[in-house]
Amino acid sequence: MLDALDVSAVVKRFGDYTAVNNLSFSVKSGEVFGFLGGNGAGKTTTLRMILDILWPDAGSISVLGNAPGRGHACDIGFLPEERGLYRAMSAIDTIVYFARLKNMPAAEAKREGLALLDRFGLGGQAKTRVDQLSKGMSQKVQLATALVNKPKLLILDEPFSGLDPLNQGLLEDEILAASRGGATVIFSTHVMQHAERLCDRLLLLARGVKRFEGTQDEARATLPIKLALTARNSPAKLPGVISADAQGIAADGWQSWDVKLEPGRSADDLLEHCTSQGFALRRFEQHRASLHDIFVHIVGAPEDTK
Amino acid sequence: MSLSIINRNVLLIAAREFRQIARTRSFWLTLLILPITLAVLPLVTRLIDPNLQQTIMLIDQSKTGAGNAIATRIETERQRTDLIALASYASDNKLSALARSAAWSEKADWYPDQLVAKFAAEGGADAALRIIRAHSPKLADEYKRPRPSYVIVPTPDALAATPIDALDTALAPYLKPPEQAGRKPVDYILAIPPDFGAERGVRLWTNGTPRGPFMAMVQADLTRTLRTGYLETQGVTPPVAQIANRLEPVIDITRPQAVGGRERVLIRSILPLVMTYILLMSLIMSGQWMLQSTIEERSSKLIEAVLACVSPHDFMHGKLLGTIAVGLVMTFTWIACGLFAAFATQGAIADFIRPALEPLSSPGSIAAILYFFLTGYVMVALIFLVIGAMSDSMQDAQGFLVPTMLILMMPVIILMQVVISGTDSMMVKVMTWIPLFTPFAVLARLGSGIPAYEIIGSGLVLLAFIALEFVLLGRVFRASLLSGQGRPSLKTMASLMRRQ
Repeated sequence: MLDALDVSAVVKRFGDYTAVNNLSFSVKSGEVFGFLGGNGAGKTTTLRMILDILWPDAGSISVLGNAPGRGHACDIGFLPEERGLYRAMSAIDTIVYFARLKNMPAAEAKREGLALLDRFGLGGQAKTRVDQLSKGMSQKVQLATALVNKPKLLILDEPFSGLDPLNQGLLEDEILAASRGGATVIFSTHVMQHAERLCDRLLLLARGVKRFEGTQDEARATLPIKLALTARNSPAKLPGVISADAQGIAADGWQSWDVKLEPGRSADDLLEHCTSQGFALRRFEQHRASLHDIFVHIVGAPEDTK
Repeated sequence: MSLSIINRNVLLIAAREFRQIARTRSFWLTLLILPITLAVLPLVTRLIDPNLQQTIMLIDQSKTGAGNAIATRIETERQRTDLIALASYASDNKLSALARSAAWSEKADWYPDQLVAKFAAEGGADAALRIIRAHSPKLADEYKRPRPSYVIVPTPDALAATPIDALDTALAPYLKPPEQAGRKPVDYILAIPPDFGAERGVRLWTNGTPRGPFMAMVQADLTRTLRTGYLETQGVTPPVAQIANRLEPVIDITRPQAVGGRERVLIRSILPLVMTYILLMSLIMSGQWMLQSTIEERSSKLIEAVLACVSPHDFMHGKLLGTIAVGLVMTFTWIACGLFAAFATQGAIADFIRPALEPLSSPGSIAAILYFFLTGYVMVALIFLVIGAMSDSMQDAQGFLVPTMLILMMPVIILMQVVISGTDSMMVKVMTWIPLFTPFAVLARLGSGIPAYEIIGSGLVLLAFIALEFVLLGRVFRASLLSGQGRPSLKTMASLMRRQ
């Protein structure tokens, strides 16, 4: 599948500070790609370079097969982290203005803009000035400016920050709808729950350096598998077990254990081994690592990432 | 394709900028202030016009003819006002040659009694307008005769015979008529007693403060009557006494020719100086609006979304174009109002503006005015734009704005005064070559004369300076747009200018 985005050995420095260091990754067409990292990880800087707002000091970037630039702005939708709108413009004028900057004809921009406002429940506020809209409404208008041109590549920088739960749900739906429509979606976030629900693949960044790129399962595979076992004997000697900690007091000879497997070991293989070797088990439960756990494991605790 | 999109985006940004500014109340106030002033000024002038028409009632109970003398004087003044206005109208409309020997064939600010008498003897304004009508009925119809300053109202017979001492009561209804009477109050009532000549006393009633010119006129005519009477009592025959009293010097006024002199330089300088002032004012106003709009874009965090669609340079050019459009709309509206006032109206303002437009008769002057006006606008608007990009708030912007305005305004105001005073000083010549002041200096000097090499040379230097501004300030603009580090220091700005 063609890469919608290819970032190769990109470096960006601000004076003595290296914001992005030798970063390489690619995003395939149609993927929902999460860009995860703490504050100062280099997420926004990377997205700005993809959008040609900043220029890399080294490396190369390919966006939809082209060098970054406004020539293909019509194929890109962007929702920045810091959001604002022209206060004196109406909701529909704002959407049409941004659509026209992306080379959409005015009539089509207006039609799509009104359809989006209807979909967001703002059909009645199309002609209302932005400064008379609530914050939640303004956020929807801003989202509409990113979606109005039906982008092939949708770039969202911390899209969930500042959104109320209803708008967070709306945004998740829109991301999935865009993806179903064939768009590639890249979004940065430090809220793992959204990434967990939405991302096909993800990139973990810390201090401008890539720590991981791959699917969520591949990310989980970097963590030792955790198991909860209830067995008559200690599982410590079982193949692939790193540690086995007894939990509580044994009852009728049965003891509960927290077990960690070596990274790359399969829980299924261990269960098969136990069955074939007659290792008595009453409980065999695999604990699925959350993206937060993966993030902390790979990148470090949030305070470590600063 | 890509180029056309970029140009289209510059226009889109310019149009949005223009619409945003055009929606503000301050834009409309600024735009309409001159047309409103031009419309209101004639009314105000009329209200405070010292020549506002006043009514006079004469009660002459003497045998000296003093009343008739005053009536004759008032008629002479009416003819003089007619002559001045008609000669000016004829000169402005190139009609003077229609009657070369007529009194009104030569324009003047004032005419001696002999010429006024000649004008009256030739039939006055009515005869002159007949000549003009034969040549151009339209111009004759368009001429508006000035209102005479004084009009004599008839004296009721009962009042004419009322003793002077009893007039206080009798005149009250004329000076302050009751509302139901439905007539206007008489401004002056002059009563000349039967013993005037032997005695010198007369009485004057007014319904307000008497005006100086009226008092001077009455004083002069009554004095003449007294002196004539005195000479007669001293044995001088009445004809000789009257001739003696009518003696007056004939003052031959030598004034600059119509094609030269200080007055002409001043008149020719009016338009360029006004353009200089308009340039400065419209720059200050539209610069402030652009500043506010850029600060709004920065403070409301929408710059990044815009920059995802357009490059910083296109963004800068669009904003610049929008602001220039605002400034030009303002300027051309003001100029159009001035032209309308000059050519579609009559009166003092039209008389003032019309000769000032003389520089517009030369294509070279028009080109120079347009070139320096536009380049001046771009040069200063760029500075305002970058100040906006570097500021998070108007308070932030003031730190840059105040010194910028001082650097711009103080020398320009001094420059205008030097040009008005007619001094061709070295300072003005030097300022012509400093790009920051070039547009103002050249515009201001156009009326008094500026060598072609200075216009072309300083114009080229200005163009090079603007190109440099685009490069250096463009870098500061681009770097400042997304900077969250507050107002940069001069050192930081210098560093940003060097950054590719």
